[in-house]
Amino acid sequence: MGTAAIVLRLAWRNLWRNFRRTTIMLAAVVVGVWAMIFMIALMRGMVDDMLLDGIRSLPGHVQIHHPNFRDDPTVNNLLPSPDEDLIAALDRPDVVAWSSRVRVPAVVMSERSSRGVTLVGIDPAAEAAISFVADDMAEGRFLEGPEDPGLILGRRLVERLETEVGKRVVVMTQDPDNEIADRGFRIIGVYEAQVASTEEAYAFAGRDTLQAMLGIGDQVSEIAVLGLDYRAVERLYQRIDAAAGDRAEVLPWNELDRYLSGMLGMMDGFVLVWIVVIFLALSFGLVNTLVMAVFERVREIGLMMALGMKPGVILGQIVAESLMLLGIGLFFGNVLAWVSIQPLKGGIDISVVSDGMEMMGVGNVLTPSLRAGDMALATVVVLVLGFLASLSPAVRASRYHPVEAITKA
Amino acid sequence: MHAVRCVNVRRVYKQGDEDVVGLDGVSLEVEEGGFVCLRSPSGGGKTTLLNVMGGLDRPDSGEVWVAGERIDTLSKGQLAHMRLHQIGFVFQAYNLIPVLTARENVEFVMQVQGVPTAERRKRSLEILSEVGLDGLEDRRPAKMSGGQQQRVAVARAIVSNPAIVLADEPTANLDSNTASHLMELFVELNQHHGTTFVIATHDQMVMGYARRLIRMRDGKLVEDIEQEAA
Amino acid sequence: MSITLRLAWRNIWRQPRRTWLTTGAMVFSNILLVFLISIQLGSYRMMIDNTLAPLTGHLQVQYEGYKDDQQIRQVVPAIRGFAADIRRGLGLTSVAARGAAFALVSSEDRTYGVQVIGVEPEFEPLVSTLPGLVKEGRYLDDAAAPEVVIGTVLAGNLKVQLGDELTLLGSGRDGSFAAAIVSIVGIFDSGMVALDRSFAEMPLEFFQDTFAMEGAGHNVVINAPDLFAVTTVQQQAQALLPEAQDLIVYHWDDLLPGLQQAIQADLASAWFMYGVLVILVAFSVLNTQLMSVLERTREFGIVMSLGLTPGRLGWLVILETTMLGLLGLGLGIFLGGLVTAWFAVNGFTYPGLDEMAVQFNLPDRIFPDLNAISLLVGPVIVFVASLVAAVYPAARLHWLQPVQAMRVA
Repeated sequence: MGTAAIVLRLAWRNLWRNFRRTTIMLAAVVVGVWAMIFMIALMRGMVDDMLLDGIRSLPGHVQIHHPNFRDDPTVNNLLPSPDEDLIAALDRPDVVAWSSRVRVPAVVMSERSSRGVTLVGIDPAAEAAISFVADDMAEGRFLEGPEDPGLILGRRLVERLETEVGKRVVVMTQDPDNEIADRGFRIIGVYEAQVASTEEAYAFAGRDTLQAMLGIGDQVSEIAVLGLDYRAVERLYQRIDAAAGDRAEVLPWNELDRYLSGMLGMMDGFVLVWIVVIFLALSFGLVNTLVMAVFERVREIGLMMALGMKPGVILGQIVAESLMLLGIGLFFGNVLAWVSIQPLKGGIDISVVSDGMEMMGVGNVLTPSLRAGDMALATVVVLVLGFLASLSPAVRASRYHPVEAITKA
Repeated sequence: MHAVRCVNVRRVYKQGDEDVVGLDGVSLEVEEGGFVCLRSPSGGGKTTLLNVMGGLDRPDSGEVWVAGERIDTLSKGQLAHMRLHQIGFVFQAYNLIPVLTARENVEFVMQVQGVPTAERRKRSLEILSEVGLDGLEDRRPAKMSGGQQQRVAVARAIVSNPAIVLADEPTANLDSNTASHLMELFVELNQHHGTTFVIATHDQMVMGYARRLIRMRDGKLVEDIEQEAA
Repeated sequence: MSITLRLAWRNIWRQPRRTWLTTGAMVFSNILLVFLISIQLGSYRMMIDNTLAPLTGHLQVQYEGYKDDQQIRQVVPAIRGFAADIRRGLGLTSVAARGAAFALVSSEDRTYGVQVIGVEPEFEPLVSTLPGLVKEGRYLDDAAAPEVVIGTVLAGNLKVQLGDELTLLGSGRDGSFAAAIVSIVGIFDSGMVALDRSFAEMPLEFFQDTFAMEGAGHNVVINAPDLFAVTTVQQQAQALLPEAQDLIVYHWDDLLPGLQQAIQADLASAWFMYGVLVILVAFSVLNTQLMSVLERTREFGIVMSLGLTPGRLGWLVILETTMLGLLGLGLGIFLGGLVTAWFAVNGFTYPGLDEMAVQFNLPDRIFPDLNAISLLVGPVIVFVASLVAAVYPAARLHWLQPVQAMRVA
């Protein structure tokens, strides 16, 4: 145990022998670690927002619908209202909320204009927990129940239709017999979404109202289920799949929206790659520093060996130096990253590229997301790779012959 | 005109917290073509005097003249110019640039002076031959003996015909045989080229070669005698 | 050859391992930069081309305000003659007139809302790739025939095939009822779900009759010979516009602001990452050169006693760094070019790419675009950064005193 203490003390003092060199290397490590974590936090924030927004804007974590519904999302592919088995399966603690909806393509016609939309009939109470609409109401009021006769439109759509809250519009859609079903609705509320194109795509009405309009009894188009964590839907999905039976198709969100799930996978991959790339850029300098340090101390190492220190201990000392350097750099780099992200917690305004962000499905405000897991990952990877990088000069140092080393000019 | 002239030169420098008097009102004149040895015990001031004479160090008070020009008031750039053209140095060790060959070490100074390629090549080979290093022109310092390295240093010092060559303990790292050969070289160059030599040393053997021997102690000149060279 | 040059070169190689490691850092970064920048530039160009090609085109002449309001009454009058005038005025044939309206399209079984576009069959293929993407049947050829081409997704949703008839219902320019029966002569597959699901094209004259356009249309699409010529053509076209008709020539950037912004955002984040890499390399060079200078303190002292000025010594250090930098530059360009060229031939992919690709109209394998810019930009910046890093070690020599320097052990 005494050896370890000596090794550590020697390593620490040797680190500071060449103050300038160590400090420059340290500065490089701090900058590298800061950049690692800062960038990751920004990207994670972006992807998290994207995911949350995407998931909130309808699919939920798991969806149940008619097997043909995805290809033909119309009134002809409906589910019966959930039976007891399904309700029991949905009534468990790992289901935060569930909601059944009617979803059909429709046309909304105002006095001046008409537009195609996706009309969604919801039960507002159940829906509020799952999707975004109730939170993002900008004008008017939300639906008060599944039989509410009102209509909720997005801001952009209201502008395109040149209408407003309180006015009437006609909604036309197709019923199961391929007849046109139409009905007048009063606009009772307007919502605004993070991603503006959503506002033109979706219109909301009461589920029962819609069912009556279409004459479909209590059938629904889909059932959306919200679990505890969007990253861990597998078990939930399997259970619901079993309970739903053959007549329904059950899908988790990452299969419903491949773009979003692709983003998540890519993000995780990106994090690791970015860490490794930065480390590699640093590693050249790190190995250089160690090699130089060893080179300058050849005689001293020879002396230590002559005095009886084992090669393994010499190796340990060099490795310890490297790890200490990296450790200090990691500490300050992490702190610096945390400090630099705090003022940005409120989000960075990127509305200057808002249309571009919309194309990618990102909102106007970029909120960095600093995760302990990412910081830990960076730290571990840097230390492990640093250990490996220091092996070469360390092994070399441990192989010196005492006599040669001492007499080296 | 004197090769070098000092008038009441004082130089005090700090060592740790204390003030050390390096030179305490030194006045001396060395005529052209002179061959002078400076002796003192360690710390006695010979190196400081050499540095001041060579424009490497500026006196705190007094005057220093080299080749008729006053150098203690020159700017750093002008001093460098003096050292490039008028003053040659030979140190105890580490005189040469290790990555350059003997010839390149000599040519380096000439290139800095602006001598055209063909001429500097010719002169460097000539001077190396004169100091007895024929055939060793393309060797690097690491592959030469101590004596050979010092000869290259001398060659470099005199190749541009400086007014004065200042040597600080040039034989300290050499064995006695090599040392005396080096001194003979100095004498020869002094006689053939008329170059003034001022050599700081505490080696008796070296002192024997001097025509003028100046002793210093505690920054003051205490003795200044002419003698017959050995 | 100059002794100074020889000296500088040999000084670099005093510590070969150190030089190789520093060069290694430069080469590593350079390879990454060449590769990544090549991918970026290639992707951006492709993204723009692929997004604009099917429908938007490079430029469009529209009634001012149509872009935002999309009202059928915001017309370009006498549009076919107008388009012909533009063709003559610009000397380009890639000019085509269009009209657009929203309509309900019904097959026997289904009804959907779609965007109907009236096109000039002989000119449309010159401004759009859609005609070339007709997979079944043929494109439109007769300016007045009651024919239509639709996307595969729409065909699937409507449950129709080639030759089937569709009923169109919408409202015309004067607010009157617009109706028509058309037969499907072609089905296109662009790979972009948005297009394939919600667009139908019909001949312009027939469109004008159906929607009571009275010879007017909504946009004239102009394609420039290549992306770089677009701004010039825009100015030329603007000059051809008749006075007092409130017509504007829109650049594609005005029509799809998201595209340019998405690229800019991506560029910004990329430059941040590249910047970090460059800084880390600069640290490496700084450390190396500083160590190299400090090791030679005594030697510099002696050289100064020979009459060299600190300025000249500083210049030597800069020269050494330049050689080091050129080594990194040359090797970096060579190896970076090699690696990138291999991928330029074989393509490059990573997990998550296919989903991204669909969203941004990119193929699912990336082929880096190796050209003079992508090959040189990164390595040159690294080179310049290395020189900047050398300023400090070189400048330090300014304060070097020969006497003190020579006392250094």
